[in-house]
Amino acid sequence: MNMTSHTPTAYNFGFLDEYAKKEVRRAILKAVSIPGYQVPYASREMPMGRGFGTGGLQLTLSLIGPGEVLKVIDQGSDDSVNAVNLRQFIEMTCPGVSTTTRTAEATLIQSRHRIPERPLTGDQIIVLQVPYPDALVVVEPSEDKRKIMHGEADYSRLLVKLYEDIVQFDEITISHRYPTRINGHYVIDPSPIPRWDVPKLHHSRSLALFGAGREKKIYAVPPHTDAEPLVFTDVPFRVEDFRDGEGRRRACERCGCADSFLDEFVDGSGEKVYQCSDSDWCDEHLAEANQGVTA
Amino acid sequence: MNIEAIWQAQTQQALFREMLEAMARPGTVRDLAHHLEGANALRGLLATLMDGSTTLADPHGLVHDADRVLLQAALDMPERARFVAVDGERAPDFQPALGTLASPELGATLVIVVDALDAGSLTLDLTGPGVESVKRLACAGLHPDWIAAREEWNADFPLGVDLILVDKTKLAAMPRTTRINVLAEVH
Amino acid sequence: MGYVAIKGGGRAIAGAAEVTEFLRAEQGEGSEPLEIATIVHQLRHLVSRVVSEGGVYHPEFAALSIKQSLGDTLEAAFALRAWRSTQPRLLETPLLDTANMRLIRRISSAFKDIPGGQMLGPTPDYALRLLRMELIDESPESFRAVARRWLAELPEERLPDSFPKVLDALREEGLLPPVSEHRASVAFDITREPLVFPVPRCAALSTMARGETGSLLGIAYSNMRGYGDVHPTVAELRVGYLPVLLPHPVTGELIEAGEVLLTECEVVAMYDAAEGGGKPVFTVGYGACFGHNEVKAISMAILDRALQKGMRDGPDNPSEDPEFVLLHVDGVDSMGFATHYKMPHYVTFQSDMDRLRTTQRKSRAKESA
Repeated sequence: MNMTSHTPTAYNFGFLDEYAKKEVRRAILKAVSIPGYQVPYASREMPMGRGFGTGGLQLTLSLIGPGEVLKVIDQGSDDSVNAVNLRQFIEMTCPGVSTTTRTAEATLIQSRHRIPERPLTGDQIIVLQVPYPDALVVVEPSEDKRKIMHGEADYSRLLVKLYEDIVQFDEITISHRYPTRINGHYVIDPSPIPRWDVPKLHHSRSLALFGAGREKKIYAVPPHTDAEPLVFTDVPFRVEDFRDGEGRRRACERCGCADSFLDEFVDGSGEKVYQCSDSDWCDEHLAEANQGVTA
Repeated sequence: MNIEAIWQAQTQQALFREMLEAMARPGTVRDLAHHLEGANALRGLLATLMDGSTTLADPHGLVHDADRVLLQAALDMPERARFVAVDGERAPDFQPALGTLASPELGATLVIVVDALDAGSLTLDLTGPGVESVKRLACAGLHPDWIAAREEWNADFPLGVDLILVDKTKLAAMPRTTRINVLAEVH
Repeated sequence: MGYVAIKGGGRAIAGAAEVTEFLRAEQGEGSEPLEIATIVHQLRHLVSRVVSEGGVYHPEFAALSIKQSLGDTLEAAFALRAWRSTQPRLLETPLLDTANMRLIRRISSAFKDIPGGQMLGPTPDYALRLLRMELIDESPESFRAVARRWLAELPEERLPDSFPKVLDALREEGLLPPVSEHRASVAFDITREPLVFPVPRCAALSTMARGETGSLLGIAYSNMRGYGDVHPTVAELRVGYLPVLLPHPVTGELIEAGEVLLTECEVVAMYDAAEGGGKPVFTVGYGACFGHNEVKAISMAILDRALQKGMRDGPDNPSEDPEFVLLHVDGVDSMGFATHYKMPHYVTFQSDMDRLRTTQRKSRAKESA
């Protein structure tokens, strides 16, 4: 058996064939035109697992061109295994693209679970990886029915669910993937970003694109667009609380920042420690602090 | 063999990014000249977005036969096609697909060829998603009925059509969410 | 102190790849790497499974994929699919008639004898599953002698090129509904179009054709056991090589481009009530997939029949619900998602802890009040 005759020697720029990119691009344009609506697309298999960011990756590969400056993060970190893996794959299949860890330098940011702390600019696009694209799935398992509910902007069952939470716990217990209404119509699952990041979608200067590979959906929050977490007037939306027992805001152990989303972990001596989840934000603050010392 | 720029993957990627910027920021005029290398914006746009799995209507005969083969898109009626290319000087005489409540993305994308963008007597003030406060767009060669018809087609969000205006080398977009205020035409 | 717990991601990934590669070669000195041809021929059913679940008929690349994934079928099907993503779809075949299959096996459990005859072919169905200890130390000589002997003893008579379909006889007798005239002119390509429900039957069939064998079997089994009521009879199960015709790129004339090994299963089952009040007829469940995968083809045929009922009357059981079945049988999708739970999730977990602590605090405050 001779395989040499058809052994592939190189992959297309961006791995996907050009037809696959065209389909994703058409879906992206419709997603932007109908903010928050989940546009179905075919979703090709990528060489990493469904659930590892294949939806985000297909968006990135359909957007990216030579000269792009790309940042890939996972949990806010550029050095997380999954971020490294995705970045290496993009570097391998997209010659001419440069990568950065600096949020400010990036033109395209692919992220899982976080939106950078530094406000994004109008020259940047953020691509978020989405495991569950539909906020209604908790109240309606059938997609056929959910599509009609979305079309009619009928979110009454979702609101009832939130209300039941309040009755039972005196709090809305949704921690991340907080249902967010876009441009007064569609409610999206904003991907598993913490509630901390949800307000960043509201009238952002940058375009946010969401890609769900396994569920085969693309949706968008355009710049300068309303993105409002679902709430009741008497129970405000609250982001994660980083105050200690005495009510003082905890600060990052490393850079001292007291207004960023913090990762909590236990250090070698068994002490609970807090650090910025956004590694670039932390590095920047640390550099500023060090400059302050040496100056 | 010398392949014209608009049929090359790298050009199409760059053109797509321009279209995305235009769609995300309604009324922003993007000049495509340096990507097109002499081709017009309509051809560049179609080359970027068309393939065999979408449909195109060309009621005004704007697409050359030679291009039609390369675009691979199946030709369809303007009432049904996913993309419709039209001459903006002529008044609309069809109703494009508006999509369905469950699948509003089936609403058509109208590509309207006008004489000029960023110049001309028709001045539009745009608001809505993608616009920070108000975006002013001037153009020449757009029959005012398109604006009125669009208003009607887009009355029941999420149903509707998305507009991309092109002149020779430039492009601007108005998705269905954009609200248009026509300022008096200056003569 | 390190910055985050998962610092050094790049090094860790490289290390994981190296140790996996070591495991592939750990047999060490004097050992031979697996040849692709060896995998294709001696691990025939494994290759069959991977071409089927990978959705690409490429036995050599399937074997390569099996080799590099150390025999993990999910991983092997996955790599084959990822390779497929880089390939454009250039041509479409016309409808291929499986009556033209060059058969290696065909049986019907509905009839004692069928036109053309039953042909048991290669199957372990009636074999005793006893471990064949003599294969532990099989010598190359005795191994090579097997094929030589079999070929030498092959009878002179030649089998016909094709066999009639059992269903055709049933259809002629009026026991089956006529073939629907409303066939889609273009087949639904699940690799190019997303499933938006309700989906046509051809989309359901192609989704199941590359579905994961175990997932299809599990859901079909639930129907067989009582969460459903298909009660199928296998009208025909055939395994063989189907010639693939493609239009010549210049002349458009159909030419035979090659052949694919295929398993096809047609089950018949009774509807509870005849559609439209007409005379009762059997209905057909259809299953077909690349390779030699009989359990998969039978499961698929049962599910096809169950889904038709669900599409007509609404689902009473999971196996009759198109969304439930079609969105949960894909091996690459489901294994990917199961695997992804191993990735870091500490940001969302931080957010979870915040909610739990807050509600605990509130409930404590309520209790003490």
